[in-house]
Amino acid sequence: MKIFKIAIIGLLLSATMGCEDYLDLQPISEETSSNAYDTASQIEAALVGAYESFQSSEYYVWDNVLLQDVRSDNCYAGGDNPEIFQYDYIDIAPTHSRLFTHWSNLYNAISKANLVIERVDGINDPLLTEERRNQIKGEAIFLRSYHYFTLVKLWGGVPLITNTITSTEAASVNIPRASIEAVYAQITTDLELAATLLPDVYGSDASVNKARATAGAAHALAAKAYAQQPSPDYVAVLEHIEAVESSSANYTLIPYDQLFSGNNYNNAESIIEVQYLGGNEGNYGPQLLLPPSVSGDSWRKFVTPSVDLIDAFDAEGDTVRKNASILFESVQWVDEFWENTQGATIPFSYKWKNASGFASADNTYLIRYGDIVLLKAEALNESNQLQAAIIEVNKIRTRVQLPDLTNTQSSSKEVLRQSILKERRLELFQEGQRWDDLARNNALVATMNALVEVDLRTGNTVNYNMTEAKKLVPIPQQELDRNPALVQNPL
Amino acid sequence: MIYKKVVFITAILMSLWCTNKSMAQSKVTGNVTENGIMPLPGVSVIIKGTTTGVSTDFDGNYTFSEGINDNTILVFSYIGFKTQEILVNGQSVIDVQLQEDASLLDEVVLVGYGSQLKKDITGSVATIDSEAFESRPNTQVGSLLQGQTAGVQVISGSGKPSGGFSVRIRGTNSINASSEPLYVVDGVPTTDTRAINPSDIDTITVLKDASSAAIYGAQGANGVVLITTKRGTTAKPKVSLDVYTGVSQVWNTLPVLNGEQYRDLMTEMGLTTDWDSYTERTDWQDEIFQNGFSQNYQASVSGKTEGTSYFVSAGHLSQEGAVRSSEIARSNFKINFDQDINDWLKIGTRIAYTSYKDVDVNDNNSVNQGGVLLGALTTPSIIGVYNANGMFTSNPFQNWENPLASTDGLDREYNNERFLGNIYLEAKFLENFKYRFNYGIDNSNGIFDSFLDPFRTGFGVAIGGQGINNTDKKSYYIVENTLSFNKRFNKHTVEALVGSVAQKFSYENSSIQTRNFASASVTTPNGGSEIFDASAFKSERANASFLSRVNYSFDDKYLLTANFRADGSSVFGPNKRWGYFPSFSVGWRVSNENFMKDDNFINDLKIRAGWGIVGNDNINAYSYLGRVGSGANYPFGGAAQPGTFPASIENLELKWEESEQTNIGFDLTMFDNRINITADAYLKKTNDLLLNAPLPTATGFDNAIRNIGEIQNKGIEFALNTVNIQSDNLSWKTGFNISFNRNEVISLVGQELLQGGITGGRGEASLVREGEPLGSLYGYIFGGVDPTTGDAYYVDRDGNSTFTPSADDRTIIGDANPDFIYGITSNLNYKGFGLFVFLQGSQGNDMLNVTRIDTEGMIDPKNQSTAVLNRWRQPGDITNIPRASFGNSDNSRVSTRFIEDASYLRFKTITLSYNLPQTIIDKLGITALKIYGTGENMFTITDYSGFDPEVNAFGGSNTVQGIDFGTYPQTRNVIFGINATF
Repeated sequence: MKIFKIAIIGLLLSATMGCEDYLDLQPISEETSSNAYDTASQIEAALVGAYESFQSSEYYVWDNVLLQDVRSDNCYAGGDNPEIFQYDYIDIAPTHSRLFTHWSNLYNAISKANLVIERVDGINDPLLTEERRNQIKGEAIFLRSYHYFTLVKLWGGVPLITNTITSTEAASVNIPRASIEAVYAQITTDLELAATLLPDVYGSDASVNKARATAGAAHALAAKAYAQQPSPDYVAVLEHIEAVESSSANYTLIPYDQLFSGNNYNNAESIIEVQYLGGNEGNYGPQLLLPPSVSGDSWRKFVTPSVDLIDAFDAEGDTVRKNASILFESVQWVDEFWENTQGATIPFSYKWKNASGFASADNTYLIRYGDIVLLKAEALNESNQLQAAIIEVNKIRTRVQLPDLTNTQSSSKEVLRQSILKERRLELFQEGQRWDDLARNNALVATMNALVEVDLRTGNTVNYNMTEAKKLVPIPQQELDRNPALVQNPL
Repeated sequence: MIYKKVVFITAILMSLWCTNKSMAQSKVTGNVTENGIMPLPGVSVIIKGTTTGVSTDFDGNYTFSEGINDNTILVFSYIGFKTQEILVNGQSVIDVQLQEDASLLDEVVLVGYGSQLKKDITGSVATIDSEAFESRPNTQVGSLLQGQTAGVQVISGSGKPSGGFSVRIRGTNSINASSEPLYVVDGVPTTDTRAINPSDIDTITVLKDASSAAIYGAQGANGVVLITTKRGTTAKPKVSLDVYTGVSQVWNTLPVLNGEQYRDLMTEMGLTTDWDSYTERTDWQDEIFQNGFSQNYQASVSGKTEGTSYFVSAGHLSQEGAVRSSEIARSNFKINFDQDINDWLKIGTRIAYTSYKDVDVNDNNSVNQGGVLLGALTTPSIIGVYNANGMFTSNPFQNWENPLASTDGLDREYNNERFLGNIYLEAKFLENFKYRFNYGIDNSNGIFDSFLDPFRTGFGVAIGGQGINNTDKKSYYIVENTLSFNKRFNKHTVEALVGSVAQKFSYENSSIQTRNFASASVTTPNGGSEIFDASAFKSERANASFLSRVNYSFDDKYLLTANFRADGSSVFGPNKRWGYFPSFSVGWRVSNENFMKDDNFINDLKIRAGWGIVGNDNINAYSYLGRVGSGANYPFGGAAQPGTFPASIENLELKWEESEQTNIGFDLTMFDNRINITADAYLKKTNDLLLNAPLPTATGFDNAIRNIGEIQNKGIEFALNTVNIQSDNLSWKTGFNISFNRNEVISLVGQELLQGGITGGRGEASLVREGEPLGSLYGYIFGGVDPTTGDAYYVDRDGNSTFTPSADDRTIIGDANPDFIYGITSNLNYKGFGLFVFLQGSQGNDMLNVTRIDTEGMIDPKNQSTAVLNRWRQPGDITNIPRASFGNSDNSRVSTRFIEDASYLRFKTITLSYNLPQTIIDKLGITALKIYGTGENMFTITDYSGFDPEVNAFGGSNTVQGIDFGTYPQTRNVIFGINATF
């Protein structure tokens, strides 16, 4: 018996050791952190993955329009979603699930950029040239800056994370908010570095040059950040815009209707845009906004242009931009702001032109030169160079067949400031800029509280009840629950 | 590799037993009768201390030709009769008379890797005999377990025929790892029981505590359900036919606003339309609920001739659901075969092939997402089914299509073929040793097809139609080698078992989706012009284990069982791969002590106690690795480039979740075996929970799997079986069981988990918090309706009323865990008539009725329930239903207003049967003929206001329980059948 027992135990022990091979299984359809970042093509794939957040983050698909155009005076919520009504009425609860999604997606995008920045120096592959290595680093730094710029505009100071997280210990993950200034300092410092690492163009293919971060894109974003930060640095804004202007990418204004024809993306005015091909690389945003005649379905669409916006186009006689941006159509549903009966004719946000069954090939401009021209006007005006500013505004007006600014429209710095803001509204409607523009000009509270929008169901004017605190959205409750180091914004 | 070891062990063992077969004696035959008159067929005759055995044939004869020697003790047992043990001692003919006995004490019970007499069991083990379910609808194993035994909670997520069920043995042990028990079908472990044909099942054994389940080690943490299929027992081939047909329907509908009331409500919300054009009056519940017909045909042949036992069955079941378009169909074949090759070697196989099909129904969704149940409630009656252009109609104010767009507008079907089988070899050697080799496989292939035509639905038109074809393939094998030893000397009985187990599970799937179809006549993806999605994925996992067990008993009074098992799992890293799991249990048969033997009202009393640790590794494959996923593609230069993304954080320290379980109990049989009581108390503590702990998402990750926290389950179970009347023509037996389980999250290292998001951005309704049970419902405290404004007010954390509570004012507002669950059976037989009644209930569990949030919220143009007729309309109205508030859910937050008591008691089964008398069936030339009618869920006593209290929108979730959101209700089923034996 004893011998037998010993034999059995011996067998079990030897079998145990043999089992290690049997149990050591590696993923078949996935890579792991120890073999996914060894070669040039792998770090390129990681970088592609970082860009992909522009498609997979709902913020960049259409919630930027909701938070910028619907939350402000440009549009109503439309549709049927109570959380989007919350945006519209500037009554956003901390438990708002879309905000949490955006917070998570944006930080996920940042973590993918951080990963590339961390790993690219360790790639030991002769196929990776030093030039490309620098470009990759520059692209990732640009992406990280872009997302931090989005975060800081929405929430103010946010946790500043510039490395990948490898430990799940509380000390490593419960990161407190940095100040707004610190976030902007990181953004501008990073962009200035990225501008030195990135080329003006990658070659002659526009669908690469407008897809990847370039030196021009880094300078343009830096200019926007310097203007948006709590204490704007207009010298820096103008310096970076100059760098954009002198880029060998030759950014130029093109006819306005061609910008939004739906078949002329990656054009000379574009600095960087989100790329879509349709099909499984498709953009589902257009289907949510476009009218039944285009989308092919008949449910109530989102992002309905407001009476105030249409009035603004009409007051300016701005038919070119209005026609490129808005389509009126008779629909089967009722609209509580336009006409509270069936068969009403209501406007639709129309800068995307193709719905293609939730899989549109229409791109989204992240930064285009027209925006930068008006930003230059803004910076010049703030630097008391009104005449130079007027020249920039008129470049934009001329191409849409509007007369130059009159003297009344530019009689003083303050008047010109309002004229530029209005110009930006008509120029950049549905491009996710309006809320930030009002915030930058410190005009949010006054504008929203002066806004007259009549709810036809009750005949009452909507009370937007805008306050200083509501300039920022609440930190998502779900994130607060996970991270005790976070402090909520004033509500 | 492990195969080499298996071969090696096998070779050694082979050489051992070849030299020892001469010990065996020649065969023993005999006849078993009841009191010397009536032959008893199907009596189990086994060699004591082993599983080796035969059954008597139709005339009560048996032949025993294996492993007999002079010292062999043969055990004759038959349900309802006293077991006899007879020493062979050279006899070649042993005739036995069995005495009737109400006690089930001496029943042979299957336990892991062997069998034991019930009297010798020291763990907590329950058995369910096929008698308990032979006249019930033949759909799913889970429904057969419900209410039959204490400590087993069956949670039906819904009543749909294709819906699975979730089983919790003694509570929920984990948060992220599975809490489902392990099912072992004829020795092959599985987790999916949908393909198992209940009418092939002979017995079900439930191993509840650590000491009985520990032999299954890692996979046994949540308890084990052993399923044994039938085998041949009679010399004369036994042919059995079972046919039934039936109908199922919902037992409850909910009142909704009629067209005029709907118009009033919309007008109040400021919505107007051309009301005169809406002339239809459609009862949408009437449209989607139907009488679902079912039919079942099962046939089997079984028998046992010298050395050979066989069971062959085939059957077909089809069942329509009570909701339009839902259905399942199952065809099955089964072959069980055992052959004695000689007196020391035996082989056998169990083979089952199942072809399964179902059509699912979209539930647990609001009409916005095509949910059928909520669609039926919230689609206004004023529209018809189709528009003039052939498209499905939609809400006058918003393009929410009517529920038939979901049931009829989308073709969908899941087909699965599954092969489950094993072969085994058993060899005896050296008198006391037995070696068993078992190789089992469980392979299945599933195909999901779906087609959305490009004409009838808005989505279909927008995308030009959609064809989907998804396939999944699962392959599993298990290789087991066990060596057992048993010896009886003087008053000592020792049984020992050692073994090794290797298991591997492989999974792969592929999916293709195309869009843009020219017509609805080709429904497969080749008809679409645009490939929208095409992918394929594979993964695998493996386990290796070594097990050992010792059973020792002294003088039939003192019993001891000890297990030790080592488990290795591929989901953990190299340093933490192996877990070691011991268990012990003891039993004391008090009634065999001298001081009790004279006491004549107690027939048997056994006190049991056990302790053990079992592990759990039911998490995703490769969990410890930092995985990097593919598919984060992005276009550069007009073509998509391959992109990767970090999918998880590496955790090399990830290790086994461990559950420490303590059990004490007793079994008591009294009054001439007419009263049988089993009671158990247990304490289970699960440590090092495998938890997908949420991370601040600023890290870039939503969660990371870690060993965090501790959960405790403690409870009491009680079962009482009585024979109330036992006479020649009349018998009446009743059973009662009740279970109390208390679940508590002891520690989560300061974490809280919010889950179960509720429609309309109302936040999460389920909370996992330290000191509270899993299944806690979370929300606001509803204060009432302000008569001045008509707005709902809530009670904040300081006890003050507020219209605008903040997220911090949420608290625990309900508990989905029942105080207790219970089952009652009554079996009355008079002459040929039988009446079987089975009641099952759950007491004290709360339900968050989210269906009411969607039908009383009045925030959008959905039709609402008649409850909103009491809504606030003008200042001064005193009501508990707030005013309508378009687009604003502040008046319908997740709150105590929607928490309801979902306790219920239902007549789960009522069966009336009639066995035709011998005089008639003899003329017909058949052995037995039974006709029966069964009603399921005929009566339900509950205060719950929804369709049905026995639902959960989150199915078998460990944490999110007690939420009804347009969930497919349990249905009332009636079947009529005939059961004939030739």
